[in-house]
Amino acid sequence: MPVRLLVLIPVAAAINLALSAVVDAVSLPLFLDTTGTVLATALGGPLVGVATGALTSLVNSLRNPTFLPFVAVQVIVALYAWVAARTGLFRSLKTAVPAGLGLGVIAAATSTPISYLVFGCTTTGGIAITTKIGQLLGLSALGACFFGSFIADFGDKAVTFALVATILHAMPRRTAARFPWTLRAMGEDSTPPPPAA
Amino acid sequence: MKRLHPFTLLAITATLPALAWILPAPIGGLAMAGVAIMVCAAAGARAVLLPALITAVPFWFFLYLLHDLTATIAIGLRLTTMIASFVWLVAVLPPPRLVEALVAAGWSTSLAYLFAATLSAVPALQARATRIVEAQRCRGLSPRGSPLAKLRALRALALPLVLSALHEVDERALALETRGMVGVGKRARRTPLAPPPDSRRQRAMRWGMLAVAVVALTWRLAWRG
Repeated sequence: MPVRLLVLIPVAAAINLALSAVVDAVSLPLFLDTTGTVLATALGGPLVGVATGALTSLVNSLRNPTFLPFVAVQVIVALYAWVAARTGLFRSLKTAVPAGLGLGVIAAATSTPISYLVFGCTTTGGIAITTKIGQLLGLSALGACFFGSFIADFGDKAVTFALVATILHAMPRRTAARFPWTLRAMGEDSTPPPPAA
Repeated sequence: MKRLHPFTLLAITATLPALAWILPAPIGGLAMAGVAIMVCAAAGARAVLLPALITAVPFWFFLYLLHDLTATIAIGLRLTTMIASFVWLVAVLPPPRLVEALVAAGWSTSLAYLFAATLSAVPALQARATRIVEAQRCRGLSPRGSPLAKLRALRALALPLVLSALHEVDERALALETRGMVGVGKRARRTPLAPPPDSRRQRAMRWGMLAVAVVALTWRLAWRG
């Protein structure tokens, strides 16, 4: 892996963790804690994305240890983003937003067993409350847990994908061309990048 | 405790929650939570134990909201053990010491760089995010209104933050290349400046903790069967 992609990993992990300040400023019920992972995958490929996701969980767990078990979600997000990048789904918001909604379902399905088995569905206050609503609606314990995770992830991942598509299109062309996967993710180049570009 | 080798501290942090999950509830969880709380108290009641308990309290509340008392106690004790162990680890193990231990143990320099670079990049990027929020507010950006208006505000705040961070990638890569960083997959052995001292006793302790966890897991699986 070239040094440029190695440097991209901690920068993207820091983006994952720093965007919470921006989300707080606009008071939206979002996490955006996988934006850096999706962006790193769209720029540098699956290995860079998986490393970014794992590093994010590791460093975040130093502040709040409850994030560590969710490393699997970050890995799934990176792999899904790679498929989206390969098929050029970041070419516009019209393709990126539905792809993000799909990721929301997959991320909820991945995080539900972890949330259920490790935390008893109390990962965050918001998820605990939506899980309680699910219980009151008559869902089973696992169903209510999925309902809580789904409410949290569905919109979040759609906004994440939309934001990454916007970033890719706003990047200066010269900067974009320095990363091996960018043009393909934006649907502008169908040839795969060289192995160690 | 602070003088222990970083790998020993990591082993303790991994073993306590592992045993809390493996051993039967609530006795296993209670014992491990007790040990974790004691090591936190030994490291500092105000600086370590209090933040650990403050982090754990909301989980107890939400567990009680969603489960019966038996499940609340069982899961709550396990979570308290995990939280207290990690809060203790962060308090007693400075990240540069862990990086030195990794380099001394022959781990890839790139891996040590990734960990250290993220730890230093996060506060810098968070400070920049705060400055961007303040600057955009000065220009009249309102974070209030409909969800669509908030999403537009989010775009105006997130784009400069992410693009400026990406702009730095080339500068950092150039700086690393001039210092001899060769990238992942190309081994370059580094000499640590101050490697943390390790001992045969501590190595035996680490293997012992692993053995205890494996024996407990085997016993639990057999006992269940």
